[in-house]
Amino acid sequence: MKIRIVFFFITVVAYAQNDTIHLLDEVKLYGNFSPAINSGYQVQILTDSTINSRQQSLGTLLQNKANLYFKQNGFGMVSSISLRGSGASHTGVYWNGIAINSSLNGQTDFSTFSANSYNRIEIRKGGGSILFGSGAIGGAINISDQIIFTRKKETQINLALASYNTQKTLVSSQYGNQSFYAKMVVEGKRSDNDYPYLGTELVNENGNYQNYHIKAVLGYVINSNNQLHLFATHSNNDRNLSRTLTASSRSKLKNKENRLLLDWKNFGASYNSSLKLAYLNEEYNFFFNKASSDFSFGKSNNFIVKYNYTYFFNNTLSIHSGVENTYSTANGTNLKNEDRNNVEAYLLVHQKPLKQLRYNISLRKGFSSVYEIPFIYAADLKYSVSPQVDINANFSTNYRLPTYNDLFWNPGGNPDLLAEDSTTGEIGFGYHSKKITLSLGAYSTKSNNLIQWRPVTGTFWRPVNVQDVSSYGVEFDMGIQHQIGIHQLSLQATYAYTVSKDNTLDKQLIYVPFHKSNAILTYQHKGLTINFNEQYTGKAFTTTSNTQSVAAFWLSNIEIYKTVLKQQLTVGLSVNNLWNTAYESIAFRPMPNRNFELNINYKF
Amino acid sequence: MNKLKLLSILFLTLLFTYSCNNDDTTAPLPLGDYENGYFITNEGPFQNGSGTLTFVDDDGTVTQNIYKTVNNEDLGNIVQSMTLYGDRAYIVVNNSHKVVVANRYTMEKQGTIEGDDIQNPRSFVAVGNVGYISNWGDASNATDDYIAVVDLLSNTVTDKIPVGEGPEDMLVDGDVIYVNLQGGFGQNNKVEVINIDDNTTGTPITVGDVPNTITKDASGVIWVLCGGKPSFTGSETNGSLVKIVNNTITSFDFGDTDHPANLSIDGNQLYYNLNGKVYAMSTTASELPTAEISGLDGFYYSMTTNNGKLYATDAGNFASEGTLKVYNLATNALETTITTGIIPGSVVFQ
Repeated sequence: MKIRIVFFFITVVAYAQNDTIHLLDEVKLYGNFSPAINSGYQVQILTDSTINSRQQSLGTLLQNKANLYFKQNGFGMVSSISLRGSGASHTGVYWNGIAINSSLNGQTDFSTFSANSYNRIEIRKGGGSILFGSGAIGGAINISDQIIFTRKKETQINLALASYNTQKTLVSSQYGNQSFYAKMVVEGKRSDNDYPYLGTELVNENGNYQNYHIKAVLGYVINSNNQLHLFATHSNNDRNLSRTLTASSRSKLKNKENRLLLDWKNFGASYNSSLKLAYLNEEYNFFFNKASSDFSFGKSNNFIVKYNYTYFFNNTLSIHSGVENTYSTANGTNLKNEDRNNVEAYLLVHQKPLKQLRYNISLRKGFSSVYEIPFIYAADLKYSVSPQVDINANFSTNYRLPTYNDLFWNPGGNPDLLAEDSTTGEIGFGYHSKKITLSLGAYSTKSNNLIQWRPVTGTFWRPVNVQDVSSYGVEFDMGIQHQIGIHQLSLQATYAYTVSKDNTLDKQLIYVPFHKSNAILTYQHKGLTINFNEQYTGKAFTTTSNTQSVAAFWLSNIEIYKTVLKQQLTVGLSVNNLWNTAYESIAFRPMPNRNFELNINYKF
Repeated sequence: MNKLKLLSILFLTLLFTYSCNNDDTTAPLPLGDYENGYFITNEGPFQNGSGTLTFVDDDGTVTQNIYKTVNNEDLGNIVQSMTLYGDRAYIVVNNSHKVVVANRYTMEKQGTIEGDDIQNPRSFVAVGNVGYISNWGDASNATDDYIAVVDLLSNTVTDKIPVGEGPEDMLVDGDVIYVNLQGGFGQNNKVEVINIDDNTTGTPITVGDVPNTITKDASGVIWVLCGGKPSFTGSETNGSLVKIVNNTITSFDFGDTDHPANLSIDGNQLYYNLNGKVYAMSTTASELPTAEISGLDGFYYSMTTNNGKLYATDAGNFASEGTLKVYNLATNALETTITTGIIPGSVVFQ
């Protein structure tokens, strides 16, 4: 007996030591999205090769590759996410770890956010307000640039021509050595976007758009314990807002965003810290009639100081903490100069008491100049039944703070709004072997005090904390790899069943389909890659009484790439909506018919 | 060959059936499915959807979405109002910038009035073969509002009469048309008077702030209900009921924070909705009523009266079906509750 205990102890230490190095590196690289401190969650990761296979918006990428559901007001128009049946502002979106959901409306437009030139996208489903802050109720998505100090010198030019007179250009250049890293990206896109509405005489009038993005990333190794990372982006979107099946449009929307982030990373043998200073700026101009010079606008600035500190007590125990101060201002046609200051702090304890078990316990509290920020707490764990099989579980409380529009929009804004709060629990099961990965999970979420704009009179609406929503669902993911000689085949399939009910009405929320499924079949042979993507989106109700709906649809896309000239040149052809299906994401706003894209990528 | 044979038999059978029917009919032919009853116009969801028409037959049968059922096409986005004139129905579709013309008894589409000269149409009235459509123009422009003059034989716009901001409800009175200038997205306080002989406007009549409804009593007096500026404007004003006799006005003022709406007339009683209550006032009264009619409470989206009954709609949460409540004004009892389409905006009687 004694011997066995000693032996057991030794193996735990040995394993854990390994784990600590791994954990330290992981936290260093991936911060709060590192899988270790999210033991009880599924963190799905998209890497370079998936993200940059072609030029596309973040929304298109996540819909095709990650089975996420978006409400799209027609192609190229405003697109918002609904994760696990939650609202558009209930998914936290992060740019290199900094929250970037609009301070004005709490959302991110996935149609204008370009996914190109990022290296890593982390998708963490489930409540995550403790590590990520306000809004991470349905989940959190982080889009990041990786700074790696190795010798590298590469320039990439990507040109694409697509249907509806669409042109896309991207030039990206990277330089790196042991102590310095630099990346510069310039990209631009324009499209007439005048696709026909299948089965009608109409075309997508007034749907044309153009945008450009500029990005710079710098990394500098001060010494073996200190690094500086700098990220800067500017994006500029100019689009007309397309018509619907029943109404023409003359409107136009312009958006501008600037983001700047300086991250000082300091680490030693037993700790790891990061001090982030960030400035975020957003502005929109809305033209009811694009021919008129009249427009309404809104803009906001965020100044963020964020400090994260992780200490490793020993090989099995670490604490992760953070404190964050956000000062923001907003003004616009319907907002008088408003400002607020929020300070929030969290603490997470990570422990791995057994070889098979790791868990986290965490809590967060904040204070604000304009409302009360709730105290929240969470716990999650992962237990490995065998090297192939593990079980994970989590429980968390989360919140979303009211936005500037909710609080101060004139007319209607309600300065007395409370934070929305939510409690969620999840249990999952995973299997992974060399050839097969499977995961199956079920979750349940109860959200209270959700903010809804309700009519006071027919023309005067006001936001109030009224809606209570119960959501639950099942998610299934599967991956299979198969190799026959030098032919590689892989299949990734996922299915989500989502119920999200308004408790007062006892009805499914509008625009939350019960069923959503996605499959990607990939064939690779030498430099040739063929991706076949099949999506199913179930019917979604469009009235709160669940009497009307937008129809279910199947959508098929295919991508064929061939790499030649010593991996330098890639030529790709994609066909979207292969079977020319008429479908709508939002009712009365048809999506594109069959369309084509030719893509040329040259690296040197 | 077989097909042709079958077709000829079918044709003969139809012909036979048709003539049989004709021979047997002694009573006058019904004019259409929607001859006896009333319509509810439903705006439909804003932005992504279509408005609809609900029909309530005199026998109580309720039929939803009748225009689409008959014509197999959507009416359009935001069905603002409907006017029955002659044997036609003129359905004003605000955000689709058109007026749909249909047979008032069968709802079969006859045509549309649309084009650059119809922008944000609000309501329709007609005199002889001439129609008048109030238009906001560009909703963000305060100075491009107008009344489109339409030749009803060709459904084309022949003239545009510029008016002040936010023309809404209109009323034909002899050779003039009164136009409420409610103010569009802003607030106005005038009634424009159009001379229909030459389509010119005289000096507008200044009434209270935000004139929302207009009606005429049996003695020819014009009544305009003004909601006043709502509190969210930051310069709240009281509502008022304005009586116009020979272009001279008498104003009955409501309390400082009272904003009445939905004026209608039944017999010699005026009815309106205020603070979730329904009030009645005699056309000969010298002051506003102090007590509501008990039993009719509700914050109605629209409200009107007809033949001793009150028809009040509730748009609910504006994102699903609304309801219509019909009250008997003799007993103040609720007679029936009807499920409507989305955002029921008006009731129109055959």
